[in-house]
Amino acid sequence: MVTAAYLARAGKRVLVLERRHVLGGAAVTEEVFPGFKFTVCSYVCSLLRPQVIRDLDLPYHGFEVIPQESTFQPLPDGRYLFRRGNEADAFQAIAKFSRRDAEAYPRFGRLMARLAKFIAPTLTMTPPDVGSLNPADLRKLYALNRQVKTLTEEELYTFARLMTMSAADYLDEWFETDALKAGMCSSGIIGTLLGPRSPGTAYVLMHHYMGEIDGAYRSWGYVRGGMGMVSESIARAGRSFGADIRVNADVRRILVKDGRAVGVELATGERIEAKVIASGADPKRTFLKFLERSDLPADFIRGIERFKIEGSSGKANFALKEAPSFSALPGNGPQLQGAISIGPTVDYIEKAYDDAKYGDFSHRPFIDMCVPSTVDPTLAPPGKHIMSCFIQYAPYTLRKGTWPERREDFAETVIDTIEEYVPHLRDIILHRQVLSPWDLEQMIGLTGGNIFHGELTPDQLFFLRPTPGWAQYRTPIKGLYLCGSGAHPGGGVMGAPGLNAAREILRDWALLRV
Amino acid sequence: MADTYDVIVVGGGHNGLVAAAYLARARRRVLLLERRPAVGGAVATEELAPGFQASTGADVCGLLRPEIVDDLNLPDRGLRLLALDPEVTAVGDHTSLRIWRDVWRTQAELITKSSRDAEAYPRFTAFLRDFATALDPLVTMTPPNVAAPTLGEQMGLLRRALAVRRLGKDTMQQMLRMPPMSVRDFLNEWFETDLLKASFAVDALVGTFQGPFSPGTAFGLVPHFLPAVQGGGWSFVKGGMGTLASALALAAREAGATIRTDADVRRITSTDGRVTGVELSDGERIAGRAVASNADPKRTFLHLIDPEELDPEFLVHVRNFEMNGVVAKVNFALDRAPGFPGASDAVPAHFRICPSLEYLERAYDDAKYGSVSVAPFLDVFVPTVIDPDLAPTGKHVVSTLVQYAPYDLRPGNWEAEGDRLGDKVVGLLEEQMPGFEKLVVARQVLTPRELESRFGLTEGHIYHGEMTLDQSLVLRPVPGWSRYRTPVEGLYLCGSGAHPGGGVTGAPGYNAAREILADWNRISS
Repeated sequence: MVTAAYLARAGKRVLVLERRHVLGGAAVTEEVFPGFKFTVCSYVCSLLRPQVIRDLDLPYHGFEVIPQESTFQPLPDGRYLFRRGNEADAFQAIAKFSRRDAEAYPRFGRLMARLAKFIAPTLTMTPPDVGSLNPADLRKLYALNRQVKTLTEEELYTFARLMTMSAADYLDEWFETDALKAGMCSSGIIGTLLGPRSPGTAYVLMHHYMGEIDGAYRSWGYVRGGMGMVSESIARAGRSFGADIRVNADVRRILVKDGRAVGVELATGERIEAKVIASGADPKRTFLKFLERSDLPADFIRGIERFKIEGSSGKANFALKEAPSFSALPGNGPQLQGAISIGPTVDYIEKAYDDAKYGDFSHRPFIDMCVPSTVDPTLAPPGKHIMSCFIQYAPYTLRKGTWPERREDFAETVIDTIEEYVPHLRDIILHRQVLSPWDLEQMIGLTGGNIFHGELTPDQLFFLRPTPGWAQYRTPIKGLYLCGSGAHPGGGVMGAPGLNAAREILRDWALLRV
Repeated sequence: MADTYDVIVVGGGHNGLVAAAYLARARRRVLLLERRPAVGGAVATEELAPGFQASTGADVCGLLRPEIVDDLNLPDRGLRLLALDPEVTAVGDHTSLRIWRDVWRTQAELITKSSRDAEAYPRFTAFLRDFATALDPLVTMTPPNVAAPTLGEQMGLLRRALAVRRLGKDTMQQMLRMPPMSVRDFLNEWFETDLLKASFAVDALVGTFQGPFSPGTAFGLVPHFLPAVQGGGWSFVKGGMGTLASALALAAREAGATIRTDADVRRITSTDGRVTGVELSDGERIAGRAVASNADPKRTFLHLIDPEELDPEFLVHVRNFEMNGVVAKVNFALDRAPGFPGASDAVPAHFRICPSLEYLERAYDDAKYGSVSVAPFLDVFVPTVIDPDLAPTGKHVVSTLVQYAPYDLRPGNWEAEGDRLGDKVVGLLEEQMPGFEKLVVARQVLTPRELESRFGLTEGHIYHGEMTLDQSLVLRPVPGWSRYRTPVEGLYLCGSGAHPGGGVTGAPGYNAAREILADWNRISS
C-alpha cells in the first residue's frame, strides 16, 4: 500500500487488490471476539520509515504512536528485571543485578545507536547490483564505500564483528547478568530460525536501536487503535491521492504476454489489465504461484526455490477478564504497559531453538508479550484486557503431526509457560486465538508462515534479496515489480520496500521503459 | 646479556620454525627457543608404545604453502608426502562413501547413492576450487591496514575482487553469498545424500566450536579447495608429522639459526614499550632486538608479556578472543589390522564417523551447554596402512580426532572425563570394526587440557583461536592488530593466532618473517 500511495501521489492510476476483507496484511486490527480488538499479528511498530510517515502525512490520516518504552522480564526465581526508557531508571533496575552492567548499558546503547544511524540510509536505497559494470551500480558502490569511510576504524571493526558474531557472544563481552543478556538478545532472534548463539544475530541487535534515532517521529511503540491503524492511515493517504482499493479481490494469476506483465486474473475469473504490476506478496508466492514456470528463466526459479522462508514463530491473542498479575511483581502497574519478555536466560532461549532445529515447537518457548489495552482502552471493554503474545520457536514444518492437529498442544504449552509467571492466567482467559505459522500462511498468505517474507540472514539480504541479481525490485518479467518484505531491506513494519519499489517504478516510467 | 640476537623466536611450532628459517635466510641472527625436548609443537611424531610411532597432534598435511616447500627445499631435507586416495571414507549407519582425489571417480561412486548428487558434484568442486583459487593469494598476504591502506594494499584487494569478478557476475554474487551461510544450508542447496553432506561438513567444522547449522560455517569449506590441497592432496608425512618439523628445523639451522630445546620462556622482557628479549624459567636472560612469538595470543599477551605494557582496551580484546577448544585426540596402538566390514574389508587410511548433519548438530548441542558429545563425530587416521614403518610389522597405529570435547566442562572436569572419553571412542570404533577393542595394545587420550599442557595450546584450541569470520583477516587476533605487529615495539606474532589462522600452512610464520624484515630499519635502530 505504501507503493500504491506513492504511485498515486505521482499521478498514476493505481488499483490495490487485497484478498482478505481487511487491508494491511499482517498489520491488522480485528475484532475477533465481540468488544476485543486484536492486533492479530504484528503488535508493535518500530521501524516505520520517517520518510514514509512524512511523505504520506500519516499523522493527518490517523496514525499515532504511543511510546512503548519499557521491558519487563519476570524471572523464575521470583525476581524481575524492569528496564524503563530513561537512563536513571534503567541504571537502578540493572544495578540490582550488577553495577558493572548498569554502567555499561548506556554506553552499549549509544554505540548501537551510532551504528544504526549509519545503517539507516541503506534501508531506503535500492541495492547496487554488485559485480555489474553498469555505471549506476558502480556509482552506488562508490557511494557506499564513501559512507563506510565516515566510520571510525573502531566503529568499522565493531560493525564487522556485529555482522559475524552471535548475539550471545557479543553481549558476553559487555555484560555479566544472564537475565539482561537474555532480554537483549531476544531482539536478535525475533522472526528468525536462529538461536542467540548463532553467528550473525548480533547484527539484528543493532536494528533494534533504529527506532530510537528517528528524531521527531519517535516510532517505537503501540499504534493507537492497533496496528490496523498503520494500514488504515496509509490507505486513507492512498485514497486521498486517488488510488482505488478493492478488498475481497483474490489475485490468482499474473498475466504475462511476450515476457511482459499485462494484468492480473482474480479467482472469480475477472481480468484486470495494467501497465505495471507491483506484488506485495512474498517472492515464492509471486513467482511460483502467480506465474507459470515457463515465464521465468530456470536459474531465477532455482534462486527463488532455495530462498529460505521457513517461519519460526506463532502468535497467541487472549481476551482477559482482568489484567494479568505477575507473581514477580503483582498488580496492574507500569510493568504491564511495555514489552513483557519471557526468556529468563540465554540458555533458555537457545534450548527453545534446539527444539525447533529438529522440527518441533519449543517445549518452553520464548514469549514476547504486551497488554496494549493498558495504554489504549479502546481495544477492550472497560476493565477487560487483551494480551498479545509473540511465540518463538514454532517451526512451520513439524516433524511429527500437522499444525491443525497440534495447535491445541501448542496453545497449552504457551499457557503453561506463561502460568509459571502469571499463575491465575487460565482463570482470567475469556477467549483465545492461537495462530501457528501454518495459520499465518492460510490467513494472510505468508508463505511458510514467515513474518518477514523470508529469513533475514546475510545470504538473502541487501543485493542478494530475494535472489542475486534481482534485488532492485525489478523481476525477469518486464512491468512486474516486487514491493513487499521479500525485497530489500526485508521484513518489519517499515514501509521501506514499498517506498523503494515505487521509486524504481517511477524511474522506469520516466525512462519510458513502462 | 653478552649476546644480542636479532630475533628470538618463542616456541618451535611449525610456524616458529618457518619464521626462523626465513629470518635466518635473510641473514638475521636468529635464536629459536622451544620448551619441549623436540621442536614441532603440535606437528609431532611421538612414541605411543615401544615400537609404535604416532602423529600425536596434527595428523595430515595438505595446506602447507608450496612456496615454503620450495624455498626451504623441504623434500631434500627429508619431507616425503604420502597422498591419501581416497581422501576419506565417510561412514554412517550401515553405509559408507569414498571421496577420491579424482572428481570423476567420486562421481562414479556417488551415482549409486543419488544421481542428482553425482550430477552436482563436479559443479560443486569447480565452484569451490574457483573461489579458493581466487582467494589463495590472501593466505600469504598481510591483512590491509584498515585505518590507512596503502595504494599497494588497495590495489592488492582490488585485484582479488577482479579475480572473483572475472569468473562472471553470477558466480561472483554466489561467492559473496556463501561465506555467511551455514554449511548445512550451503550443502543442502547442492546435495541430498546425508553422508556426503556430513563429510563435507566435518571438513568445515573440525576444530571450531560451531555446529553445521551455525551461520558462517560454510566458509570453512574453502580452505579444502585451495590450490595447495588440489595439487598435492591431503597427505600423511612419511615417518609421521614430526618429520616435517625436523625438515623445517634443518632448513632453519642450515640457514644459520640457533635452535635450543628444553628452553622454557617464562617472560618476554621489555622496557618503555619496546621489547628487549626473553627470560627463561631457570632465570637466564637472553637479549634480542625483536621477538617473534609463536605462542597463541592469550599466552603471549596475558602470560608472557608484562601487562603494564598493554593498553587495557587491547587486553579486553585479547580476553574476548574466542579459543575454547573442542577437540580431543585418542590414539591407539593395535596388535594387528582391524577388520572393516563396511565398504571394503581392509581398513582405510582415513575414515570418519559422521552419519548425518543432524548427528553433527546434536553433537554440538551437548558442547554448547558444556558437556562432551553423547555421540561425537570421529575423524580417524590409520597411517600404518600407507606408512607401515610407524609400527612393528603387521601392527598398526590409529589416531582419532574427537569432536566435540569442550575444554570448559560445565559441570565436570577432565580428570574424570578423560577415560570415559577414551571408552566412548573405543565403543564407537568397535561398532565399525567388531573386535577392535581386543586389538588395543596401548591407548593415549589427549583431552583439551592435555593438548594445552603438552603443546602449550591455550584452552586446548588447535587453531590458536576460533577461525570464525569475526576472528579472521583484519580482525585476527585483535581488531587493528592483524599485521603481525603488536602494541609492544619489536614484538611480533608468528603463530596461528595471526592471519590466516590455524592448520599446517606455515603462512603465519612466513608472513610474520616478511613483516619483521620490512620493519628492520626501525628494529635495528
